Amino acid sequence: MNVASGGFQPPSSADFVFSPFIGQSAYLTKPIALIFLSVLVISVFFFVAARKAAIVPSRLQFAGESVYAFVRNGLGRDIIGQDFARFVPFLFTLFTFILVNNIFGIVPFLQFPAMSRFGFPLVLALLTFVVFHAAAIKKKGFGPYLKEIMFMPGIPKFVYVILTPLELMTFFITRPVTLAVRLFANMFAGHLLLLVFILGGDHLLHGVIGLKFISPFAFAVGIALTFFEFLVQVLQAYIFTLLTALYIAGALADEH
Amino acid sequence: MSQNGSPETDPQDAGDGAAWSIVSYLLSGLIFWGGAGWLLDHWLGTKIFLLVGLVLGAAASLYLIWLRYGRQ
Amino acid sequence: MKGTLNLVGYGLSAIGPAIATGLIFAAYINGVARQPEARGVLQPIAFLGFALAEALALFGLVLAFVL
Repeated sequence: MNVASGGFQPPSSADFVFSPFIGQSAYLTKPIALIFLSVLVISVFFFVAARKAAIVPSRLQFAGESVYAFVRNGLGRDIIGQDFARFVPFLFTLFTFILVNNIFGIVPFLQFPAMSRFGFPLVLALLTFVVFHAAAIKKKGFGPYLKEIMFMPGIPKFVYVILTPLELMTFFITRPVTLAVRLFANMFAGHLLLLVFILGGDHLLHGVIGLKFISPFAFAVGIALTFFEFLVQVLQAYIFTLLTALYIAGALADEH
Repeated sequence: MSQNGSPETDPQDAGDGAAWSIVSYLLSGLIFWGGAGWLLDHWLGTKIFLLVGLVLGAAASLYLIWLRYGRQ
Repeated sequence: MKGTLNLVGYGLSAIGPAIATGLIFAAYINGVARQPEARGVLQPIAFLGFALAEALALFGLVLAFVL
C-alpha cells in the first residue's frame, strides 16, 4: 500500500545512507567522520587519563584505569588464562572502539552508531578471525590445528563425512559472520527503533489536533528506548569482546 | 592476583562460551546440509532434498554439540 | 504495505523456542542456585536442551526464507 503524499514516511534502510559532506567522494560521509572522531576521543581520553599517573589517582585516571582493569581482568585474565597479557591490547582496543562508536548512537547531534553500517563490524570480526587463528597456528602448528578442528576423537570414521564440513564451516565462516552480524543487527535495529518513535512523534505533532495529544507518548517511549538502547550498546560492545576472548581461549587450549 | 591467571578459573569451563558456540554450530549444520539439499533440488528438479538436508543438518549439529559439550 | 506471510509465520514460530529457552535456563539457574555442586551435571543437560529448542527456531528461520 502506497502512503498518500504528505503521509508518514516510515524510516527505512535509506536512513542509513548519507550523502558526502562535499563533492562526490564516498569517503567523506558521517559514519567515517564518526569513526575518526571516536579514535580521537579515545586517544585524548586515555592520554589525559594516563598523563599524570599518580599513586592516588585523580578521578579521570580512576575512570581510565577501571575500564582497563575491567577488560584486562574480566575478559583477559579470567577467560584466556595463563598467556593473556599479549592479547590485552587487542581486546582493550576492540572494547573501547566499539563502545564509543555505539554510544555515539545516542549522543545528541552525532546520533548515529557507525556499527550499523555492515562494513565496520565486518572488518572488526575479520581482525578477530585473523588473531585467533594466528594464535592457534603459532602455538600448535598449521597441520595439527586443522586436524584438531576437523577430526573429533572417539567417533566412528564414516561420521566424519557429515561432521567435518560442519566443523570447518563453523570455525572459518559462521563464527566471524555471526560475530559481525550480531553487532550490526543490534545497532541497526536499535537505531531504526529510535527513528520510528522520534520521527513518528514528530509527524504526529504536525498532524490534526487530536493526534497532537498522542505525540508526547511517542516521544516518551522514544526517550525510554534511548536508555534501553544505551544498555544494548554497552552490552554489545562487551559481548563482541567477550566472544573474541573466548575464541582466543579456545584456540590456545589444549585438546584433551 | 598472580600474573599467571587465577588457578581456580578453568578457561576450558564449557559454560561461558557454550551458548554462543551452539548457535554457530546449528547455523552451520542447517546452512551447509540444507544448502546441499537445496542445490540437489535445484539440479534434479525435486522438492524433497531440501527438507532431508535440513533435518540431516540439524541432527548432525545436535550430535556434534553433544560430542563437544554433553559428553561427560 | 508489502511483504510475505512467511515472515509472520516465522515470528509466530519463534515464540515457542523463545519460551522454551527461557524455561530451560530458569530451571538451570534454579537448580544451580539450590545446589551449586550439581552444576557440572546440569550444565550439559541445560545446553543440550537449549540446542534442541534453538534448532527449531533456526528451522523456522530457514524455512521462512526458502519456502
